[in-house]
Amino acid sequence: MHDIRRNVALLLGSALVLVGCDFQFEGQRPSLRFGLNSNILANEDSGVYAAELAQDPNAQAQIRGALEMLFGTPDAPSFARPEEWIDDEYDPNYAGYYEISDAAFEAIMAQNEQLFAPELEAIARGNFADVRVQREALDLRDYWSGIMAEYEELQAGLESGDSTESELAEFVAAIQEEAPAAFIEWYPSLRESAELYRQQCLHCHGVEGGGDGTTAPFLNPRPRDYRPGIFKFTSLDNKSRPRREDLYRVLTDGIYPTAMPSFRRFSNAQLNGLVDYVRLLSIRGETEILLAVEFADNVDEGLPMELIQSTYLDVWEKWDAAADEYIFFDGEVPESTPEAIAHGRELYMDAKSANCVSCHGENGRGDGPSAFEMDADGNEVRVKDDWGNEIAPRDLNRGLFRFGRRPIDIYRRIYAGINGTPMPSHASMKDSEGERLLSDQDLWDIVHYVRSVSVKEASEG
Amino acid sequence: MRLLTTLLFLAVPILGVWSFWIADSYGWWFPENVSTYGDKTDSLFNMITYMVGITFVLTEVCLGWFIFRYSRKGQTKAVFSHGNHKLEMVWTAIPALMLLLVAFSQMSIWAEIKFSTGFPDDNGYSVEEPLAEVYASQFDWRVRYPDEDGNFNGADIVETPFEFVVPVDTNVVFHLKSRDVLHSFFVPMFRLKQDAVPGMTIPVWFNAREVGEYELICAELCGWGHYKMAGMVKVLEQADYKEWLETKRQELYANGSEELLADGDDGYEEDYE
Repeated sequence: MHDIRRNVALLLGSALVLVGCDFQFEGQRPSLRFGLNSNILANEDSGVYAAELAQDPNAQAQIRGALEMLFGTPDAPSFARPEEWIDDEYDPNYAGYYEISDAAFEAIMAQNEQLFAPELEAIARGNFADVRVQREALDLRDYWSGIMAEYEELQAGLESGDSTESELAEFVAAIQEEAPAAFIEWYPSLRESAELYRQQCLHCHGVEGGGDGTTAPFLNPRPRDYRPGIFKFTSLDNKSRPRREDLYRVLTDGIYPTAMPSFRRFSNAQLNGLVDYVRLLSIRGETEILLAVEFADNVDEGLPMELIQSTYLDVWEKWDAAADEYIFFDGEVPESTPEAIAHGRELYMDAKSANCVSCHGENGRGDGPSAFEMDADGNEVRVKDDWGNEIAPRDLNRGLFRFGRRPIDIYRRIYAGINGTPMPSHASMKDSEGERLLSDQDLWDIVHYVRSVSVKEASEG
Repeated sequence: MRLLTTLLFLAVPILGVWSFWIADSYGWWFPENVSTYGDKTDSLFNMITYMVGITFVLTEVCLGWFIFRYSRKGQTKAVFSHGNHKLEMVWTAIPALMLLLVAFSQMSIWAEIKFSTGFPDDNGYSVEEPLAEVYASQFDWRVRYPDEDGNFNGADIVETPFEFVVPVDTNVVFHLKSRDVLHSFFVPMFRLKQDAVPGMTIPVWFNAREVGEYELICAELCGWGHYKMAGMVKVLEQADYKEWLETKRQELYANGSEELLADGDDGYEEDYE
């Protein structure tokens, strides 16, 4: 008998715990702070920096303070605005307003109208309680809960006599007039995008975008470290910072076949917001590297305000210059003919010009001699990229190209190379007289050859 | 105490039945079906649910009664029983008949959906000439459409990530492949689920009755990023589909200049949705 009573008590107890857990469901979120970059990559001064930082809490505090002033925290990220921007009325914190074309913004609004249809309908019917704002849209949620608080106060006031029916009706009508625009014109703020980043990206790319999230060690290739400002896949020349469109394309298409998936299921506005936030992380990371190097040179003087500001603007300039480096081909894409392919093969094998064979190998397997190097113990290992990860040249036979398989995509890879890797820019190869070694036509022939190789095994699993 | 034990026991089946009862009104039931064969799958599901449901209720009521009526009282000695031959025959024969009913009633539907020898080919898509190839991999859906000669090996195939675009009211046949581990192609609103097995080319067909966008998810735990394999099947009007494929084929030979905006604005391609 005693046993049964104990069991019943246990059962009721666990039921209570379950119910209790349910109430706690949305619990407190830990607040995040940006950490400092402990290994600065692709930078000869990194050793100095790491040593300085590790031993000097004062230096850490100064750099951290400067960065927080410029970029805020993960909970409240925002770009600092130097005076000249205020004079020019430019504000990168409102990218949706300042940087997206009217046509593109109209597309965003049309999609918002579809996505928020249930909310808009509930508002139109006056059923304010039915409006559910998605959880990462923090600002929109705050806006709506403000309205709800007022609405509920008016409703409660009906019974106590503090408000009248007509006051409530007036309030509802005013909201019905004003609120739909907030939903239709919604473009995520940096704070909202940081929230989406926290849900979707952080576990691989890390809080600071260092490519050091908790899942990162399991991945090959590793997630991108945004902090040096180097992005492998852009459509730009001269190792430029990416255009918004390049980052956007990575988000919608993913990078196949790596662990970077497509995020197509998110809305246009949300993906644009993520681009904004990735740009913030990258600019923050690069500013940090430059500040740290300056700091290492001048430890006694610390970080003067002018230096912080000029470094910040220097990094921004790199991003703004991107649009001028866009690669396209003036004219129709040349047709693939057997002659073009044969010429492409010649260039591919030619050690004096394109010399693709040195890394990609005779059969395009990615096993050329330059794909390997000797490590300190004399073992043959794969060459490393700027982030220190061993990489393999693409196996061209598989037909899997990381940033698009169209001829123009492959053309851009050969034309400008791949940032942060040994893949060089072939358009900038010059002979002894300073003439281009490979003409545009030559590059297209190589493109056609590469495509012809990729066809053989393309459909194999 | 006896009553309390019985009620505690019965609480589980009662909650179970109740949750089924209210499921539809809370939106916990199936999503709408838009494929031609989905109704048949649903009718099979309903038949089995009714059979199992009735059996479940009867069994639980009996169990509840036994717990109440025959729980141990004081020092009464238990009755030794050697079983009842007739009763055992009955409770073997009835489930056997029910199993046979399920087995036979599903055969034609299973054959219609899964047997590649019987796939419809009246729309020009067949097991030999599928509309597309769908590749599953960790953690990605990639759809490949053939070039103009119907060749999946060519350099001019069209590839779309995470988005399977198909024409409406058309018997669509496609090949399902996996590049690494087991995945499963699952479109709940088509009632279509098919495993993708590495090394195998699996023909699959469906016919969507309504234009729209339907969720495509991976239904086989395939690794840490399993939940990220959320794609979409986009059903277009037949004419729109042809136009879409044509545009995609032309875009293959883009020279990049179309992405430059005329007004020099820092905007986006319209194409990106």
